[in-house]
Amino acid sequence: MEEELFMKLMEIVGSKLCVASDDGERVHGQIAAALKEGKKVKVSFESVESLTSAFLNSAIGQLYGEFPEEKIKSGLSVCDIETDDLDLLKRVVDTAKEYFKDPARVKGARKEILGDPDGR
Amino acid sequence: MEHIKLQGEIRSDYAGFNSLVNFAARLASCEFEHIRVDMSGVRWMDANMCAPFGGILYKLSRQLNTVSLTGLAPGMETILSKNGFLSNYGREKTQDTYGTTIDYKRFEPKDGRYFGSYVETHLQGKGLPHMSAALLKKFRESIFEIFSNSVIHSDTKFGIFSCGQFFPAKHRLDFSIVDLGVGIRENLRQKAGLQFSAIEAINWATEGRNTTKTGPIPGGLGLKLLRDFIGINKGRIQIVSDKGYWEFANGAVATSELAVPFTGTAVNIEINTADEHTYCLASELSPENVF
Repeated sequence: MEEELFMKLMEIVGSKLCVASDDGERVHGQIAAALKEGKKVKVSFESVESLTSAFLNSAIGQLYGEFPEEKIKSGLSVCDIETDDLDLLKRVVDTAKEYFKDPARVKGARKEILGDPDGR
Repeated sequence: MEHIKLQGEIRSDYAGFNSLVNFAARLASCEFEHIRVDMSGVRWMDANMCAPFGGILYKLSRQLNTVSLTGLAPGMETILSKNGFLSNYGREKTQDTYGTTIDYKRFEPKDGRYFGSYVETHLQGKGLPHMSAALLKKFRESIFEIFSNSVIHSDTKFGIFSCGQFFPAKHRLDFSIVDLGVGIRENLRQKAGLQFSAIEAINWATEGRNTTKTGPIPGGLGLKLLRDFIGINKGRIQIVSDKGYWEFANGAVATSELAVPFTGTAVNIEINTADEHTYCLASELSPENVF
């Protein structure tokens, strides 16, 4: 059975405040690297006290510019998350899907993040 | 030597912001001056209005002016000393006996962590209201959303200013965050090529999923989340940017045009501290169907 990587937000960020876009970027780097390698990732929100859309857009929203939706759905999961935080995450995910409906944005994101010169 | 008088009542309302933007406009071109601000005509200043006032004075000092404040009535001196505002102008910070103030501070956009600990520290003072855990969480997150918005969109070269005040008798807590960046209207013009009036620009930024974000990180939720929360809480949001004054309270938006533009964006949120909503939505969501 394929091994699932377990990532605890609080440990990656080093704080219970998951609010800054820069901190989200760090989380994103780890999730994206794992998904790129075909790994499954489970992200734990345990002990997170504050969460913002800015953080989640960086950490998770931008994945939709790099990976197909199906790959995220099958490769990424969350746990230990409060209901209101889950609701915020859903809003961020829906907004990201909408944002990346524009193919030019997807192409730009892949070029910038994955270093794919053709943005494919 | 430049001598300028500030007068009246500087409250968190249209008139208060209008007084401050007029004051800023009159001094905007000053460089290498000693500016004496005569405060003797100021009968009252809401302590959270130190954030826009402090931002304006800070910008003047960055234009190599020396700023001094004179004629402060004893009551005013007390208010502005307790939150540390006057410490920037040569006065000692005084003890906040009732613990109702949230200090005046200036942050650089890269100070996200420092801002985080400032909010954590100051939202649990002895004089601050007992708020439900859900309300406190929502309030903190709203403040972080506003700060993040300034960091991401304002392109400020002068920093981000914040200050707060609890009004126990009214069960209201006001918190202001101000940047001296490009403002919402100009941001829309630069990033999205949209030509809006200042008020239209604020409306655009607070509605739907509108965003000026480009590049790999999506955005466009911060101000909408804030509006949703304040709507449920029965609080108030005021946004001042360029010539636009925008206020949301009791489920309705009211707008007015300021006499002169404010260079940057000021957001004031006022929460109803007696609110007992749980803020846990009765949602069908589960972690399995979020992506």
